[in-house]
Amino acid sequence: MKHKISTLIAAAVMAFALPSDGFARDLTIVGFGGGYQDSAREHLFEAYEAATGTAVSDDVYNGEMAKIYGMVETGNVTYDIIMVEAPELVRGCEDGVFAPIDYSVISADKFIDGATHECGVGGTGWGAAMFFDKARHPNGPSNFVEFWDVENFPGMRAMRTGPKMTLEAALMADGVAKADVYDVLATDEGVERAFAKLDEIKDNMIWWKSGAQPLQLIGSGEVDYAFGYTGRIIRANDEGADYQLNWNTLLYSIDYWTVVAGSPMMDEAMKMIDWITDAEPLRAQAAVWPISPANKEVNADPALQEANPGMVLNHSEEGLFISTEFWIEHGDELEAKFTSWAAQ
Amino acid sequence: MSKKSRISWLLIAPLLALVLLGFILPIGYTLVKAVENPEVTAALPRTVAVLDRWDGEGMPPEEAFAALVTDIEEGQRGREFGSMTRRLNFELNGARSTLMQTRRSLDELTAPYSESLPAAIPEWGDPQMWQLIKTNSNPITASFLLRALDLQITPGGQIEAVPEERAIFIDLFKRTFWISIWVTLICVLLAYPTAYYITTLSNRAASYAILLVLVPFWTSILVRTTAWFILLQREGPINAGLLGLNIVDEPLQLIFTRFAVYVAMVHVLLPFQILPLYSVMKRQGTDMLRAAASLGAPPWRQFLLVYLPLTMPGVAAGAVIVFMLSVGFYVTPALVGGLQDQMVSYYIAFFTNQSINFGMVAALSLLLLFFTGLLIVIARKLVPNLDTTIKA
Repeated sequence: MKHKISTLIAAAVMAFALPSDGFARDLTIVGFGGGYQDSAREHLFEAYEAATGTAVSDDVYNGEMAKIYGMVETGNVTYDIIMVEAPELVRGCEDGVFAPIDYSVISADKFIDGATHECGVGGTGWGAAMFFDKARHPNGPSNFVEFWDVENFPGMRAMRTGPKMTLEAALMADGVAKADVYDVLATDEGVERAFAKLDEIKDNMIWWKSGAQPLQLIGSGEVDYAFGYTGRIIRANDEGADYQLNWNTLLYSIDYWTVVAGSPMMDEAMKMIDWITDAEPLRAQAAVWPISPANKEVNADPALQEANPGMVLNHSEEGLFISTEFWIEHGDELEAKFTSWAAQ
Repeated sequence: MSKKSRISWLLIAPLLALVLLGFILPIGYTLVKAVENPEVTAALPRTVAVLDRWDGEGMPPEEAFAALVTDIEEGQRGREFGSMTRRLNFELNGARSTLMQTRRSLDELTAPYSESLPAAIPEWGDPQMWQLIKTNSNPITASFLLRALDLQITPGGQIEAVPEERAIFIDLFKRTFWISIWVTLICVLLAYPTAYYITTLSNRAASYAILLVLVPFWTSILVRTTAWFILLQREGPINAGLLGLNIVDEPLQLIFTRFAVYVAMVHVLLPFQILPLYSVMKRQGTDMLRAAASLGAPPWRQFLLVYLPLTMPGVAAGAVIVFMLSVGFYVTPALVGGLQDQMVSYYIAFFTNQSINFGMVAALSLLLLFFTGLLIVIARKLVPNLDTTIKA
């Protein structure tokens, strides 16, 4: 009896102890999922595995940084390469959660300007813009000023919850030039001005949280005009919807590939990032999915531009680049202000 | 240790481990996170040492300027600098950009730094930045807990209310408890007759009725909340029905309202109230009611003086569970509520994943735990009173 109990305990202890570091695991790459990752799995991840023989598996997360911080703190790092948004990249790099990029392995020259960072390199561009269903509204608003005009364009609007992108849009609707948006927003008067502009459409506004929602809201007729991610809007149009997407209302940024600090496969991770940001695999991916890679050569390829007019980084002239540093510095303050404004 | 006591320790060992791992450690860790303040001392050790001897009046000595320049130079490659700038920016908006600019212009600075530094970056000519560093060199801070109560510490160390347009947390706590109290009340009012009705059924019918309560209980919260999302939307079945019956002329705004939050939360939480009530009522039986009736009590008296007090433990048990669960609700208000209907967990998620400010996460969690505990204590004080008044 006694012997049995001690065997049981020993077995239980082993069961807990083993999976954490008992076995070598695949190189693990983690993104935000969706159609983008499906295409990346085939043309980047599996292609890399086939080309080099390094076993790769991929996983999906929602950008929850708590999980990554937890991994680094406990030393149980199960993700190697992850895709992150720009502000998280900067903060995580400062906190030592992401490892510095080894630019002797990854060539910095192939990226567009601004897509190389101490701890990350540009993966894909993304953007959000105003759109509506042409079947319901043949003549919808064509810019931010008209989006705000509830007299001539009555109906409900939808925008992303929170101050980011919202305040920029409000200022542009109030006549601030694109180039001046962040300068104005950095002043107290500018913030007041943006919120005063938001007051005008507060009663006509529904706030969404996840990227799938604006499509659902427009599709079901819940709202008339919405702000949504361009990739999803283009995809909906490919699948038969007839949505008008206004590129002149584009707000865009870049998501980065980075390596989690303490990854046991640091060298392999750097090699893989270099491979999946090269022109060849990205061309293959672009053939099946409207990506907008931060690779200079692919992004400037006229054939791809024609086949894929939704490449966000080719619309940079029309759009506003979301300032990473502005939101790291003012994010908390404006978030509090936005919440307090919304609750009134 | 005797063999017997060794075995009994072994038997309770899983329980002890559970209490330690699932209760004491996380709460202790949260408590530490809510008050610890290591960033400034780690990134600016020399500056902190010099400012320690400074009285905080007027400008600090040249020594402090030189120490700051050395600290920033030494800290170029380290990870401490960035988190320190964000920590100070939390206390004083703009502190991060001041420090970042300072790091960028280090090469242009020459001794004496008390002249060249303010000349390059005017913020250093104001005692405020220096006071801010001095105040936050303390390894423990009440800053996060205070902020979670809409208070802040000035660079000089005074406690004051945050400007009205940025005060959010007191309202947030009020709203969280207000929603939870209403959800609990509605659950009690709906569950009581339901549970009673089930006790009057035959055993066979009762087990089917319980199954009807349990099936949604086994369904994921996300699925049930999404179902309400579809039902309540502008072109959803409820609005279609109301329009079809000519009750309304245009679709009602049902989704993204407080109403939707109540409906979905009550639906999710109702089984937690019905099941304890049913078990108490079932055990109670109807003997006492019949006894009361035989002594001449009219139905309302039987209910108020006999049945209600006897089933009160079921009401209380269910209500406590429902209340505690609603206080921590996240998914349901996030999906079907508007921005005015979000609860504390929404901000815990925000600070965890977007703002990455674990001090605020811990402070909000602790205060939520504290207020919930307080309310439960008050309720326990009130319920026996209620009990005795009814009996008297």
